[in-house]
Amino acid sequence: MNHAIISCLHANLPATEAVLNDIDRQGIDTITCLGDLVGYGPQPNEVVELIRKRDIATCQGCWDEDIIDGLNACECSYPSQLAERRGHLAHQWTDDQLTDENKSFLASLPTSLRRDRLLFVHGSPNSQHEYLLPDMDAFAALERVETAGADILFCGHTHQPYVRELRDGSIRVRLQNADHECDQGEELTLPMRKIVNAGSVGEPRHGSTNATYVIHNDATDEVEIKEVPYDVGRTCQAIVEAGLPKVFAWRLSHGFEFAEQAEDASHVCER
Amino acid sequence: MRSHQGKCGYLRLDGYSSNGLEQVSDSGIDKTFLKDQFPELIDLSDSHHASRSQQGNLLTLVEIPQFQAPQHAGLTGMDPRVKNQLEALQLHPDRHLHFGRDPELPNKDTLEFKKLESFSLSLNASVWDPPSLNTFWFELVNGAYGDVYRAKALMNLPDGRSMFFNWIVSQESSQFLPLEEISAPNGRPTSLSELVVQGKHLDGLRIQSTIDLCLLNDAVLEMHQMPLRDRHKEAIPST
Repeated sequence: MNHAIISCLHANLPATEAVLNDIDRQGIDTITCLGDLVGYGPQPNEVVELIRKRDIATCQGCWDEDIIDGLNACECSYPSQLAERRGHLAHQWTDDQLTDENKSFLASLPTSLRRDRLLFVHGSPNSQHEYLLPDMDAFAALERVETAGADILFCGHTHQPYVRELRDGSIRVRLQNADHECDQGEELTLPMRKIVNAGSVGEPRHGSTNATYVIHNDATDEVEIKEVPYDVGRTCQAIVEAGLPKVFAWRLSHGFEFAEQAEDASHVCER
Repeated sequence: MRSHQGKCGYLRLDGYSSNGLEQVSDSGIDKTFLKDQFPELIDLSDSHHASRSQQGNLLTLVEIPQFQAPQHAGLTGMDPRVKNQLEALQLHPDRHLHFGRDPELPNKDTLEFKKLESFSLSLNASVWDPPSLNTFWFELVNGAYGDVYRAKALMNLPDGRSMFFNWIVSQESSQFLPLEEISAPNGRPTSLSELVVQGKHLDGLRIQSTIDLCLLNDAVLEMHQMPLRDRHKEAIPST
């Protein structure tokens, strides 16, 4: 059976509506959302309410977490002072706009969802803030999936959709006691694992303005990355009317993220 | 100028406003950059040095803003008023180059436009967060604050370096050239820092407000500079 996975909506209502319409047209009725319903975009309440109305299973993203717990990302999360200040401005604006009811909904979201051998998270099983980039070290990628006990890990957060197959994986464990007399080793050969990144509905970062999501067939394990055009101009107009920085509209209309991504995106703040 | 064997001079003349085209005041960017690259450069706008224009083998670069292509090629296309100014300094031009016409200069440095807008901002004593400067310049020359045909600037970095930024719409990328002179990492620099932008529908307020988000305050500047001073101290052995 086909099911759809969406992520990183970022308060972009026209993009969210376009993606949900595309999913509906294909007769898919199981949808999982990987979080970041809000942040930067101009219609946070409308997007949260649409997800609630559609009763879409959703896990919490880093933006959803920060809105509830207060901005706790340290400056190392941002690639520049400009990005940090824009991020703070967007956070404050979103915090002011969101209704208490919608904040409660975001607070109620789990950090992960599991269906049999499929695991759904925003960033990684370790953290909503961790980026699983398509070119990350193979061992680290395998470790994330294996430790989480999943065959397929669905994530978002990077805004770049991809499918990564981890074939012929093995993890060798070696124990050595203090007197070096007895070494014990064991090598575990692992079946193929898969990481599927759904990209972003509301803030794409794949070289085009189109929203992305993925369809997975749980019988065949086939994954299809879908691109959906939407009315970017409508979102840009809403950004300007909401009083958010006009440069957010300019960046979105050119296929750039609202704030640029850190160069070392795999960095996770330990604070 | 680099290959010239003798002395080099520089003279910037004011242009003549016509047909409602906005005139651009001299920001001093070119002179500062050239003086940094050629410390012996003779500034002929300085009356003390003006008489040196008669020195033999002096190569003088004369810049004058002009927003319309001259009617004739070569020296005959020069504005007679400019000629008179040069003659008063006993300068006798042997070449007259114009952007968009002569192959020695980038083609189409400006697109066709009827009204030129210009925006300039003094950034003296300002120091940029380097990654923010990178983002700001990218946004500026790609149209986030209006259609930019031409932009240049001298920008200060926290480690004491100053960079010359240069953008022409017809070029594929910007020019980023470090100045030779590096200030000591002791607070705010005193060298000239300026931004000049030409184009259409320029939103000066938004340019200014983005710049404000990019500049370092005293505390952050000190955080950048303290390790540089410590490193410098370590490099000098105590006696």
